[in-house]
Amino acid sequence: MIATWVLLLSLGGLALNMAFSQSMVQPDWTLSLLLAVLLAHRSSWAWVLPATGFHDLVFYWNIWGSLPWLIAIPLLLPQLDERLGPGLPQRFVLMLFCSLSLLLQDWSVLAWLLTLALCIPVWFNLANHYARSA
Amino acid sequence: MAVRRNNRWVWVISLVVVAIVVSRLPIASKIPLIMAPAIETLRTPVGWWQSFSLWFQNSESLQEAYLEAQKQVQRQASLIQETNSLRSENRQLRALLNVAAIPGYRWHAAKVHGRSPDAMSQYLIVQTTGASTDDVIVSSKGLVGVVDSVSGDNVTVRTILDASIAVPVTAPGTALAALLRGQGNSIEVDFVPTEHAPDVGTILYTSGSGGMFPPGIAAARIVSVEPMPGEIFSRVQAEPVAHWQRDNWLAIASSTRTGPK
Repeated sequence: MIATWVLLLSLGGLALNMAFSQSMVQPDWTLSLLLAVLLAHRSSWAWVLPATGFHDLVFYWNIWGSLPWLIAIPLLLPQLDERLGPGLPQRFVLMLFCSLSLLLQDWSVLAWLLTLALCIPVWFNLANHYARSA
Repeated sequence: MAVRRNNRWVWVISLVVVAIVVSRLPIASKIPLIMAPAIETLRTPVGWWQSFSLWFQNSESLQEAYLEAQKQVQRQASLIQETNSLRSENRQLRALLNVAAIPGYRWHAAKVHGRSPDAMSQYLIVQTTGASTDDVIVSSKGLVGVVDSVSGDNVTVRTILDASIAVPVTAPGTALAALLRGQGNSIEVDFVPTEHAPDVGTILYTSGSGGMFPPGIAAARIVSVEPMPGEIFSRVQAEPVAHWQRDNWLAIASSTRTGPK
């Protein structure tokens, strides 16, 4: 259910970003949602990563925008959790690391900050939701 | 646990392989077109709001806008007259000089529906009819790019900032024959001889070489010229003249010639 909602909202975010890209500063709606889901529930990478690939194809016409950065989460997070214990610090570092892809793709700093500002509350809400349903 | 970890690696690697294959296929530039109906739907309420807000403007400001529009119409009517007389004069001069006619282009309007969200908007989605691949896109200020793919009434446009586009250009009154190449955020101008390098601020126009771009369209403004010691050509950087990040309407030039461009 969460996957369906997040994917629908992500599609809406893609359209919003492209429709008003130069008329107002916006976060990367799709990336912030997908990143939040991945941080809240690391097993969701199986559908989050293909969605990130689609996001990259729509925005950059290739897959080297955000996908290579987000792949780091399912690969590194389990190992970091195993060594450090499940916790927020490694997730924050990975969130900052993945969001840096926006700056490399020539997004403004304000758009990057807005993306982080959207990602964090969505992440915490989703994490609470997953914790309650577990 | 080990099996799950292996599964994860297999899935990630296969995802990367599939993604690479998809991005290598020529359909990569068509994927943004899937979003065109959604983008159009999002923009529709903005259009409604703009129409609706007219009701709240007071009559004085509307009258001022009407008078200004009338003045513009008058100015444009005189410009059209001037253009017509210049066109006939040009035709006579061409006949006298026996200059071959410039190959024809059919011009039509295109509405910008979406832009890639990077600061310079390297790619655009525009709505038009009758466009085909490699048609040239122009704004009121200058060259924007070329049509990359067409799907119904929507087309994707690669701007001149894209590295895959090379535009033959020249500077007015010189024998310069250079090539513009997109670098993502800026434009590099190749084959500018150090001895004949134009000044910073010079506007480069399409030369028409190669037949893809109509000649005489403003393409880029030179922002830096750096002579390279021991080399024939200088390192020249330029910026686009057109501001497609703001324009809502663009023009498409479709070549009327048949055969390969």
